[in-house]
Amino acid sequence: MRRSFYRSLVLLGASLSLALAASSAHAEPLAPHQPHLQASLGLRVSKVPDAGYDVFSNSDELAQLSLGLAGTLWRHQRFSLAAAGFWDYGQKGSNVRGSNTDLVVHRLTIGPEARYHLLPPLYLFVHVLPAFAHSSASLEDGVAQVSRYARHWSYGLDASAGAAFEVYGARSGESFRTRLWAMAEGGYGYLGSTSLELSPDAGQGPQRPAPVDLGSLSLAGPYFRVSAAVGF
Amino acid sequence: MNKLAWLMCGVVTVGCGGRPSGWDTPYTPASGQNGLSAAYGLTGSVAVLDPSLGRVTLLSSPAQLKLESRSIGLGKNLVAARASDDRKTLFALSRGVQPQRTPSDERPQLLLIDGGLTPKVSRAYTLTEPMAQLVLDPQNEWAVVYGGDGVVVNLNELVLVNLRQTGEDALSSKTLLSFGGSPRRFTFTTPLSVPGGDPRRFLIVERDSDLVLIDLASPSRDAVTIPLPSADNGGTASLAQVVYDAASASIAVRVTGSTSVLLLQLAAPTTRGEDYSVVPNLVDVGGQPAALDFVHNSQGLRLVALVGSNAVLVEPETATTQSVQMPAAFTGIRRITAELEPAGDGDVALLYGANVSKIAYFNLSGAPGALYRSIEPYDIGVSVKEVIDVPGEKFFDHKILQTPNQQFYVLDLHTRESAPMKTNGALSLEVAPDGERVWAYSSGQFGFASVDFASLHPVSLIAERQVSNVFDIESGSGQRTAIALHLGAWEGTGIGATVLDALSPSTAYARFYSGLELGGVK
Repeated sequence: MRRSFYRSLVLLGASLSLALAASSAHAEPLAPHQPHLQASLGLRVSKVPDAGYDVFSNSDELAQLSLGLAGTLWRHQRFSLAAAGFWDYGQKGSNVRGSNTDLVVHRLTIGPEARYHLLPPLYLFVHVLPAFAHSSASLEDGVAQVSRYARHWSYGLDASAGAAFEVYGARSGESFRTRLWAMAEGGYGYLGSTSLELSPDAGQGPQRPAPVDLGSLSLAGPYFRVSAAVGF
Repeated sequence: MNKLAWLMCGVVTVGCGGRPSGWDTPYTPASGQNGLSAAYGLTGSVAVLDPSLGRVTLLSSPAQLKLESRSIGLGKNLVAARASDDRKTLFALSRGVQPQRTPSDERPQLLLIDGGLTPKVSRAYTLTEPMAQLVLDPQNEWAVVYGGDGVVVNLNELVLVNLRQTGEDALSSKTLLSFGGSPRRFTFTTPLSVPGGDPRRFLIVERDSDLVLIDLASPSRDAVTIPLPSADNGGTASLAQVVYDAASASIAVRVTGSTSVLLLQLAAPTTRGEDYSVVPNLVDVGGQPAALDFVHNSQGLRLVALVGSNAVLVEPETATTQSVQMPAAFTGIRRITAELEPAGDGDVALLYGANVSKIAYFNLSGAPGALYRSIEPYDIGVSVKEVIDVPGEKFFDHKILQTPNQQFYVLDLHTRESAPMKTNGALSLEVAPDGERVWAYSSGQFGFASVDFASLHPVSLIAERQVSNVFDIESGSGQRTAIALHLGAWEGTGIGATVLDALSPSTAYARFYSGLELGGVK
């Protein structure tokens, strides 16, 4: 994966240079390179500066597996508009003052993505996607001898821009031939804060346990995502 | 994958940041050694020391069964903490950053924390050198810090902290002249009526081979050092007990291995420049005394020395003695005149002992020739290790007699009735500051109990986790709250508590709190 990532970065840089120099000098038809459907697998890394995240991590990064699906809805010359959606899954665990903690985050984003092709194998995109996240925070409470949880939904918005480079595909093939894309994007993901009042599940632990109040958790922050996509 | 994540993180931002180191520092309860207890009961809060983070977590109860925690930094390298006698203040002594490398490094300090319903730092005194020991005045006017572990330590240097003042003016350093000893125990007197001057308080410093009197009215003046008498075999005696009588400005000193008692009379100054003089007198009481105290009988002040099965009364001015046979060899004496308010003009004392199964009331208001009739014994069947006072106004005439085994007695001094209470384990007692009940528990056990002084009805309670301490504090609703701490010394690490209504304790309504060590981590 690391080799692929470095190669993608080099190719992306080279492509951008080429695009500036020769954006109008290609005879290749654009339309076959505009993906109709695209499925991606990638890695999303967010920086979470919120103090509430310190309970679950000794650094600010949150890495998530990212699965994406996009479909082109409309095309006009170099422009196209797609519907895109991502499911990001991440888990982070730590130990605070002798107690183990764990955070599991599912994030679902879906919305429009605008694309502009600089070259047939290279397009830039921006998207603004409403986000729905479910977080499950847990604390192994050694004194109460029970696991405590705080499970919440939160809502927000992901806004990002990026580029996609076609690393494999027929140079002038038919529209529905499989093509492989390397994609990179960066942006900001906003999510509302959720409470970190951790309580045992019903019937677990001592009677009438008061919640352990660790404040709140906001998973908002800048993020970067690299992915490989299959499109046709 | 992790390296890739970090690389991407660097692309996204300048850095991924970290978290406060406190999160990576496990909570470890103070061991009870070296002047630090795991927890202290204050009037409106319970202070739980968190030495690894250099802070105290204060638990208060804003409403019935509610618990609120807040943490206050105590300074780096905490070495001693004490609660004041009235439980209103927690004193914390820290060494600061040692060795000091920059001018901004934290200095050694003595911190005072108000232990009311809203705990807060009330005062701080910055010290010039790190000290290791802390002694508090029961009247909250003075504190003494001393000792240390520097390259060179003056063992006889005391720093007196005048708690009525703030800043540097409050601190005065005093080096005691020494014949080779170092401070062992401290006694703050009440104002002594020294002839030729206003009543003044003294600090009596007990050392290996002498004692030192420091006049707290003018601590900068020279202290008076009084050497101890030798033991009867010619060897070195060590100091065992110091008692005083405020009205007559008399001090009595018991030393080990000697049948003599050293009497010190503070008198008017005899030379210019003195504030007072000390007249010593050595009195043979006929045997090695086990305990001393000053009492008043119909003829005036007497020193009582418990010698074997006799009580020897010493007339301080003439050193004449009078002996009275006791029904047992008592080793402890406690004046209970204030609690009984007797009609006569003499004191009443409670006699007890760790090796006898009796207690006795020693009434000194009778005729001097009838002392044998003034001792009224009661066989309670167990020995008494300690007599614990009950504060407040309602049951001030009650005493708790702690025995060396698993029992304690609630003694009503007026009716002279004692109520034996048997426990099923080792025993720790915590008298509620309002003086209306006592809590009994055994650290590490699940069970604890409350005994209400009005009904003498014990309520046994079984916590869901092992109990390390029990405290009784005032709650915000004006009620009383009992807090049974679970400090995680047995399973898990952390600060937990079972919170109950102290006036009507029941585990059926108790609330369980934990994770209290996680609040306010920086």
